[in-house]
Amino acid sequence: MKLSTTIRLALAGTRTDVLRVLLTGFSAALATLAVLAALTVLAIPKVPGDPHAESVQYANDLLREPGLRPGVAFTLLLLTLPVLVLAGQCARLGAPARDRRLAAFRLAGATPGQAIRIAATETGVAALLGTLLGLAVHLLSRRVLGTPDENGLLALPTDVLPPVAALVAVVLGLPLLAALVTGLLLGRVVFTPFGVVRQAGRDRAPRPWPGLLIGLGVAAFVAVEPLSRWYAGQDRAMPVWLLPALFLGGGLLAMLGVVLGTGWLSYTAGRMLHRVGRGPAALLAARRLLADPWTGSRTFAALLACLVFGAGAADIRAWFVADQQLRIESQLRSDRLSGRPTRPEHLVPNDFYVHTMDLVHTAIVVALIIAAGGMLISVAEGVVARRRAYAALVATGVPRSVLGRAVAWQSLAPVAPAILLALTAGTALTRSITGEVRHGGGQIRVCNASAALCADPTTRERYTQIIAEPVVTRAVPVPFDDLAGYGAGALCAVLVTVGIGLLLLRSSTDLAELRAS
Amino acid sequence: MSSSYVLLGLLAVGAMHGYDLKRAYDNRLPQAKPLGYGQVYATLGRLTRDGLVAPAGQDRDAGPDRTSYSITPAGRAALDDWLATVEPPAPHVASTLLNKVMVALLVADIDRARRYLTAQRRAHTDRLRELTALKIAPGARLDDVIAADYAIAHLDADLRWLQTTLDRVADWHREVRG
Amino acid sequence: MTQLAARGTVKSYGATQALQGVTLDVAEGEIVAVTGPSGCGKSTLLHCLAGILRPDAGEIGYRGQRIDTWSEAARSRLRRTEFGVLFQFGQLVAELTAAENVALPLLLAGTGRRAARTAALSWLDRLGVADLADTRPGEMSGGQQQRCATARALVTEPRVLFADEPTGALDTLTGEQVLGHLVRVAREQRTTVVLVTHDARVAGYADREIAMRDGLIDHSGLGLVGGPG
Repeated sequence: MKLSTTIRLALAGTRTDVLRVLLTGFSAALATLAVLAALTVLAIPKVPGDPHAESVQYANDLLREPGLRPGVAFTLLLLTLPVLVLAGQCARLGAPARDRRLAAFRLAGATPGQAIRIAATETGVAALLGTLLGLAVHLLSRRVLGTPDENGLLALPTDVLPPVAALVAVVLGLPLLAALVTGLLLGRVVFTPFGVVRQAGRDRAPRPWPGLLIGLGVAAFVAVEPLSRWYAGQDRAMPVWLLPALFLGGGLLAMLGVVLGTGWLSYTAGRMLHRVGRGPAALLAARRLLADPWTGSRTFAALLACLVFGAGAADIRAWFVADQQLRIESQLRSDRLSGRPTRPEHLVPNDFYVHTMDLVHTAIVVALIIAAGGMLISVAEGVVARRRAYAALVATGVPRSVLGRAVAWQSLAPVAPAILLALTAGTALTRSITGEVRHGGGQIRVCNASAALCADPTTRERYTQIIAEPVVTRAVPVPFDDLAGYGAGALCAVLVTVGIGLLLLRSSTDLAELRAS
Repeated sequence: MSSSYVLLGLLAVGAMHGYDLKRAYDNRLPQAKPLGYGQVYATLGRLTRDGLVAPAGQDRDAGPDRTSYSITPAGRAALDDWLATVEPPAPHVASTLLNKVMVALLVADIDRARRYLTAQRRAHTDRLRELTALKIAPGARLDDVIAADYAIAHLDADLRWLQTTLDRVADWHREVRG
Repeated sequence: MTQLAARGTVKSYGATQALQGVTLDVAEGEIVAVTGPSGCGKSTLLHCLAGILRPDAGEIGYRGQRIDTWSEAARSRLRRTEFGVLFQFGQLVAELTAAENVALPLLLAGTGRRAARTAALSWLDRLGVADLADTRPGEMSGGQQQRCATARALVTEPRVLFADEPTGALDTLTGEQVLGHLVRVAREQRTTVVLVTHDARVAGYADREIAMRDGLIDHSGLGLVGGPG
């Protein structure tokens, strides 16, 4: 089948299909922006001669310090994860209609491979449009944001461009990846000429094995400290890729575990609701959860991924805060022991890292909002797809309020424990690194005589003692209020989404739907 | 025999020679067994004897195929009576039903045609209802049910044909009259 | 006593006028078949009589009360308690078992789970599908589904049962079974039945036929224009 034919068949579709293409493109654009930003940061050239010198043309220390830049790039890359999950959710919009269309192609003579290729091409083309848009926005914002401030410094690295090869790789690579993933996911769906058949394996109850994934993720993080000590003991430098790999891999595993674990949570919530719930709304919700426990995973995936990330970030921020406090305390103690007055600037905490974490927090909130958009799409699609069944129920006298309550239970029952799980998993990940702060361990010179004798260099030696500064460790408290804030925000987003879904239920169970039969 | 009434109906439109009468009959009822000339003349003879038609025209001595026949007032009355009578609903009434419907559309004014057709349909649906009640009555034997099914199927076919026919009535009406 | 009445009922969907002024009466305990070709408005008439839709003009009466002026909540309660509704397909909740589906109207009325289940099982038994109590609709044949749906429509012992082409998707013999059960139980309970169908053989199960054509009652039954035949 020629490529042009494939493209034409891929782009044939209804309004829902257009919406899906647009949303996929939008997600791809966001992901591209994040990746390009990361690449730009990495492309800042090191000052020739001194690998540790700061690049002084930037205002922000995050960009000046060559040691911090990989961390910044890495964080930006991590932010693409929720966006990619969102893209996955958008790709499911209107999937049943698209699957039926592909089945019709099969009936007209296409092979299964061709049918899958058509679907993958649609995703690929949509993603390509998105990456091109992302690239355009990136280049444009470079122009717009590139003016230096009053000190002649740049706020953002708009003076460097990642290598062209990297740009091309991103713009072409992301769509290819998207198409490949679509092809892989659809490989399990068989488009027979008589309709769509999902391969078996979906009807069994989900097991709690995703907990294992979370455990592996936490283990990856826990391994960081022993590994670095081992390398230090061996007097070798850690390979440059090891830490990022552990962090990225551990984070991915934990996020995946939380998202997949929502399936088990939904199923269990359904079972409990069935046993404990009394009214018909609870019965309907329980049965729906038991029949399709993976809907929750799909709907809340992006939200939960953001929460894992956010919990970890909140924990790290708490570490920085505690670190600064302890540093000040240590400084005070050593100054007291050595008899020196404390310099005022040492009493002020260095808020650089804390502010950085606040930036990360802002980014996560933005990601959460985007994730809420994805949730809304999922919930709306769920309501609209079942409108015929709901309309028939309303016609037989089931009050809309009962249906509404059932829809609400269906969403809220699994999501509340899932949010808790995500926050716990995220905190557990970083706890092994942020468990405690430690300061001290140095040496202080103390002069045990009167001020006059200490001031005279010749007599000072006789009265000077060297005291070992005690090592003070302090446990970093778990940032419960930050976590609660994330949890409450996520729950609010879910409530708003469910509320809008209920409004949609009201309008889509208009009994004129019945006439279409 | 209902074919005599068909001939009466054809004559009610206007006088016709015997030869033309046979041709008109075959034209109007192409699916039925074609009427032989002998049968036509025998029927005409019977109708004349019963005073329902009268041979007209001067060439009385020419054969029946050259004689022009016309319907008498008695003939019209007999035709009206026949049209006002509902055919008992049962299987194998199809050809009679067909004849009657065709003649009704040909001859009767619209009110009478409607009255006949409505009454006929009601007779059919009443009988269908009776047969259905027989089927679901407690103690109905398999033979009863099978026989009832047979009758019901044919009655249903009649009803459907009746409905379809009337949905074409405007065209057919024009064609038959023309 | 007149159970159901319609007076000059008019209903349009956008530009299409589905009912152009329908007047009829249905007596208590009667089984009435509403027949007519597709598009004649019979389903719309059923929806108006059952209080599912509100007519644009005219009146709908139930036991002497005008229900077309009632609020949606009041009509919903009516449909839940005094009416039973049966469609051609798609009315059973796919995720619930047969027993749960049948028990649903009782649960909505506030009956406890155990009592509702007992009632549901007895109704399934009356319709001859007691052994399917814990299976889901997706695992049943069309005829079995319709029998479960009939049980659900009758479980609240409604005064009126509205059935819209209940055997439309079934083969002859299966449809006969469903109709047979339906009519037998309706007669036992003295339930009024309004049965919409385009099939003369299904109409044969009713006491009386109301023929419709182009949004109006067709007294000839054949689409013939003019006064009563």
